[in-house]
Amino acid sequence: MKLAVFLSDLRRTEDTYERLKAEKLGVILVENGIYHAVMKEGGKDSPVLNKAGASFYVLSEDLETRGFTSAQVNPKVKVVNYGDIVDLIMNDYEKTAWL
Amino acid sequence: MGALKLCFVVQRPPYKSENARLALTHSISSQTAEIHLDDGDTIVPTLIFVGDGVLNAVKNQQAMKHYGVTSTENHIKNGLLIDMPVWICKEDMQRLGLTEAQVITDAEEMGAELKMKFASFDEIQKEMEACPHLLFF
Repeated sequence: MKLAVFLSDLRRTEDTYERLKAEKLGVILVENGIYHAVMKEGGKDSPVLNKAGASFYVLSEDLETRGFTSAQVNPKVKVVNYGDIVDLIMNDYEKTAWL
Repeated sequence: MGALKLCFVVQRPPYKSENARLALTHSISSQTAEIHLDDGDTIVPTLIFVGDGVLNAVKNQQAMKHYGVTSTENHIKNGLLIDMPVWICKEDMQRLGLTEAQVITDAEEMGAELKMKFASFDEIQKEMEACPHLLFF
C-alpha cells in the first residue's frame, strides 16, 4: 500500500511507527510532530527520521507556530503547506493514518 | 500565614493539548485568589519548565497568525511582566539541543524587569521543595 502517516506528537508513537511497513511511505510531521524535524535530542536526529525508504514532510504553519523556521529543518525533511499536503494525500498515497 | 508559594511545573510541549497553556494562565491568575485569603497574606507563584515543557519557551512563535490564539511565548512574557519568576531547566534545553538564543530570556519590549532564570534541575528541585503546593502540567 501507499501510506501517508501523520505524526502529531513528540513522544509515545514509536511502537506503532517503527513496525509500520508500506510499499511507499510518507511521514507528514504536524502539530507537535514538527519537533522531529528540528530538534537534535542528545545531538542526534530524531529516530523518526531513520525510517528506511520513507519520505518526510513537515507542515510550515505548525513549524512557525512553535517558533521555528524552514531554515532549521533537517535536510531529510521537505517543508510543505496545507495545500501541498492535500495534493500529497490525493495524488501520491492511497491511505492515510494518524499516529 | 504570610506568603503562600505555588510552583507550576510544565513538562509537556505547547499547543497539542491545552495542558501547558493552563499552567501559564493559572499561574498568571493565581494571585487573584488572594481575595479569599486573610489580609496581608499573599500568593507567590513560580512557573517552571522542565522536560519537553522547555519547548514552550521557544521564541518567535506565530500562534496568532496560524491558530488565532495567544502564543505561549506571550503568556510567558506576561508572567515576567507581573514579576512572576519563570524558570527553565538548562539540562533539558541542552538535551533537546536548544540554546539560550532560541528561547525567551526577557520581556523588555513589554516593560518587564524580571528575566527568565536558566536553572539546573538541582536548583529546580530545591525550589520545588520550598513550595508547599506543586502543580504539574
